[in-house]
Amino acid sequence: MIRPKYKAVVIGGSAGSFSVVSKLLSQLRSDFPLPVIICLHRLKHVRSGLVESIRLKSNLEVIEPNDKEAIVGGKVYLAPSNYHLFVEYDGTFSLSTEEPLNHSRPSIDHTLTSAAYVYRNKLIGIVLTGANKDGAKGMKDIADKKGITIIQDPKTCEMDTMPKSVARLIKPDKVLSPEEITNYLNKLAI
Amino acid sequence: MDFKQYLQVLKDNTPYDFSDYSDNSIKRRLQKVIADNDLTLDDLLKKTQCDKGFVERLVEDITVNTTELFRDPELWPVFYEKLLPTLKGKKTFNIWHAGCSSGMEVYSNLIILNELGLLDKARIYATDISAGMVRSCKKGSYRYEFNKNQIAEFEKVLKKTPINGISQIDFSKYFDIDEENDRINVKEFLRKKVDVRQHDLVQEKVPFYNKFDVIFCRNVLIYFNASLQSKIYQMFHNQLYPKGSMILGNHESLTGFYKTKFLKNGPLYTKTNAFHFKYQ
Repeated sequence: MIRPKYKAVVIGGSAGSFSVVSKLLSQLRSDFPLPVIICLHRLKHVRSGLVESIRLKSNLEVIEPNDKEAIVGGKVYLAPSNYHLFVEYDGTFSLSTEEPLNHSRPSIDHTLTSAAYVYRNKLIGIVLTGANKDGAKGMKDIADKKGITIIQDPKTCEMDTMPKSVARLIKPDKVLSPEEITNYLNKLAI
Repeated sequence: MDFKQYLQVLKDNTPYDFSDYSDNSIKRRLQKVIADNDLTLDDLLKKTQCDKGFVERLVEDITVNTTELFRDPELWPVFYEKLLPTLKGKKTFNIWHAGCSSGMEVYSNLIILNELGLLDKARIYATDISAGMVRSCKKGSYRYEFNKNQIAEFEKVLKKTPINGISQIDFSKYFDIDEENDRINVKEFLRKKVDVRQHDLVQEKVPFYNKFDVIFCRNVLIYFNASLQSKIYQMFHNQLYPKGSMILGNHESLTGFYKTKFLKNGPLYTKTNAFHFKYQ
């Protein structure tokens, strides 16, 4: 049996990240084999519409997962509004409405950290543009487990606080523009 | 000692059994309680064994008590447009809020019933595992600032989808607002309408003799492992009248066997095949 080199991609983003994610998904190859788990901050009272708008352009199926839903390759999972999204050891998601972390629910740290523990060195973690520091601790956990860490090049960010706060905690494996992130994923030998 | 061994100590020394909660979530909650209270594992063990007050606070802290007035505003039209018309003809009907937390959803529910003139027909029961939450639910006093936006969001939904022609609610009928102290207090006529009791779903024993037309259980079972979830769905199935409904959280769903036992209609799960299905 050939062991896959990677098992999942996890992406966190906040202010300005919607258009980056939307473009990325429109250019990701349609046979991309890994699950893509995305946690984006959203305004508390703009609860609906995000998944629909992302779906419009995506080459892959985009789902807001339910609690205990199995994680399947080739699908895009978006953390539902007002829930934290966690990856579980049995290959399912779990949701929680516990208190916000870094003032956010969903919190990027929660999703990234849980994915780091489950996928370890077979995880690719990406932090995009954003105006806070949610995601930095989660990226450190991914780095500690020898996963791949990528931040969006701060020069290309609408708000560079988020990728920069990752870079203050760890030395990311790659610093890429949105186009380079797309190319990197499309050429990934899995 | 790992967290599973601790949960065993908790189970052996107190009425609380968290051993079938979902592993990661209970572990995370315990770690948080330990960090927030600056405890060592030794302290935790000692206090668990001999300090009842501590155990009550611990239960309150490790369970998640997120709730809001009119939480998920789009849920309520489903309740008053799809569900209530099926109950209107009955002489009385019973609603159970299982895992009611501080009761904000319970009172949201009561307000809608009152607007429809159905409050007298409804018997409302609410339960929570935590004694503190049961007290909060009975008291019905919440942070105003926190709920102000929620009420405004619900008002938008109401404009779009009126309750029986009612597109505006005078909330001063239901609440006394004390802005200076950031309180919104539920009026007594609503509070005395609810039978609130401390009850742990994990025990699977039902705290009431009657059956139910509606069971609200929103974002409670997500903290349980799949096997405990199934037991609770079975218990709810048994406690519902034929054609009674459960209302779950926006991102909860039934899997496998239970899918065939309830008919899904958005967040509503309506009991089917009642007589094929006996509790073992």
